[in-house]
Amino acid sequence: MIYLDNAATSFQKPISVKKRVIYSMENFSSPGRGGYPAAMRAAECEYHCRELAAKLFNCSDPEKIVITSSATHGLNIAIKSLVHKGSRVVISGYEHNAVLRPLHAIGADLTVASSPLFDAESAFQAFASAIEKGTDVVVCNHVSNVFGFVLPVNDIAELCKSKGVPMIVDASQSAGTIDVDFEKLSAQFVAMPGHKGLYGPQGTGLLLCKDTAVPIMEGGTGGNSLMEDMPDFLPDRLEAGTHNMCGIAGLDAGLAFVIKKTPEAIRAYEYKLSRILIERLKNINRAEVFEAKHDQSAVFSFRVRGIDSEILADSLGRQGVAVRAGLHCAPLAHKTVGTVEGGTVRISPSVFNTTQEVLKAAEIIEQTVKKLR
Amino acid sequence: MEVVHYLIICRSLTYAQRTAKILERAGISAIVMKAPAGLSDKGCTYCVKISERWLSQALTALNTAGMSYGKVYISRGDINTEVQL
Repeated sequence: MIYLDNAATSFQKPISVKKRVIYSMENFSSPGRGGYPAAMRAAECEYHCRELAAKLFNCSDPEKIVITSSATHGLNIAIKSLVHKGSRVVISGYEHNAVLRPLHAIGADLTVASSPLFDAESAFQAFASAIEKGTDVVVCNHVSNVFGFVLPVNDIAELCKSKGVPMIVDASQSAGTIDVDFEKLSAQFVAMPGHKGLYGPQGTGLLLCKDTAVPIMEGGTGGNSLMEDMPDFLPDRLEAGTHNMCGIAGLDAGLAFVIKKTPEAIRAYEYKLSRILIERLKNINRAEVFEAKHDQSAVFSFRVRGIDSEILADSLGRQGVAVRAGLHCAPLAHKTVGTVEGGTVRISPSVFNTTQEVLKAAEIIEQTVKKLR
Repeated sequence: MEVVHYLIICRSLTYAQRTAKILERAGISAIVMKAPAGLSDKGCTYCVKISERWLSQALTALNTAGMSYGKVYISRGDINTEVQL
């Protein structure tokens, strides 16, 4: 299989991640639930995971690294901590349903700071204009999961800071490939998955917290047991219940892998692979490739007029090329770009793909398009 | 000979781990462990155990790092006595 759906999950993991998951199953019990060696080994691993995350994302305090089950979990905590019914919330035109659905469920008063694809300056201006009208919270994607558009979150965060508006950043597609500097970013929360660019197992995520937050789940934390309320300090406040220790152990190894390789080197490599594919796909008759020379990650989308994106992806899947088609849980991004009708086929390489693989994938895509016409 | 050490009570496991890291960076051997029952009025918690001779340096290191800490106990065998700081 040529796996090119890393924007959903990085399927191919470093061997160190696999080894660590197995090791955890054989050696770790639950952190915070005992003082015996298996519990303390687990606690050491979990703390190490927080320390590595704090290092990678420049967070001064490992206690502010909350371990979640996914970016969606983290975004729900962040949104439900800051947004209430009727809150005026400004979002980009490229948000995922992990942002849209919680906001809709709360009944937020939404403003979409819509801007053209790959136009960071317009995106910033759209936020500036929307915030001027009165805003309680800003939520912004760092990188579009559909088009790889890198939004100017640092500039938007500066703007929010100057206006006293708290900001939530969805770093689902940037964590591990683009610099996310939590101290510099001055966002209230940054949410990310552990299973994409951080190469951890599915069922892991991180929420970087500037201050405390409102728990969306209450339960045992292993401490302060006599208190009926959740602890008022992080990370315990947001980590009720037994922790996903196998996942955390794998994420710990994934973070070490990314730190060693560096996000810059990973992005450069993945981008090189994407450009090879983009240049080939652009030559397919009636193909439309959404690409930019700037402000784009290694993720990109394309469509071929006259061919349903799902049928194309299904055919590619049966030939061993794993890509994702449709709306990618981000209908707003497709509405913004005008691709909601039929969606797109998304390609997202990882550090484990090779040049030979993407050349082969290009050849299979070219042949498949010819067959489907 | 009776072994004497100090227990620094921490609000959580993570905080105890952070405390221990700071002490170790200051050259003070520190062990994270569950606090003996009865030493916390909020229920289960964790503490950092250090040798008898390091208390002064440990508190200085924590103060320098801006780390607050809970009660400190001197532990002699099974008897823990709060230290008035």
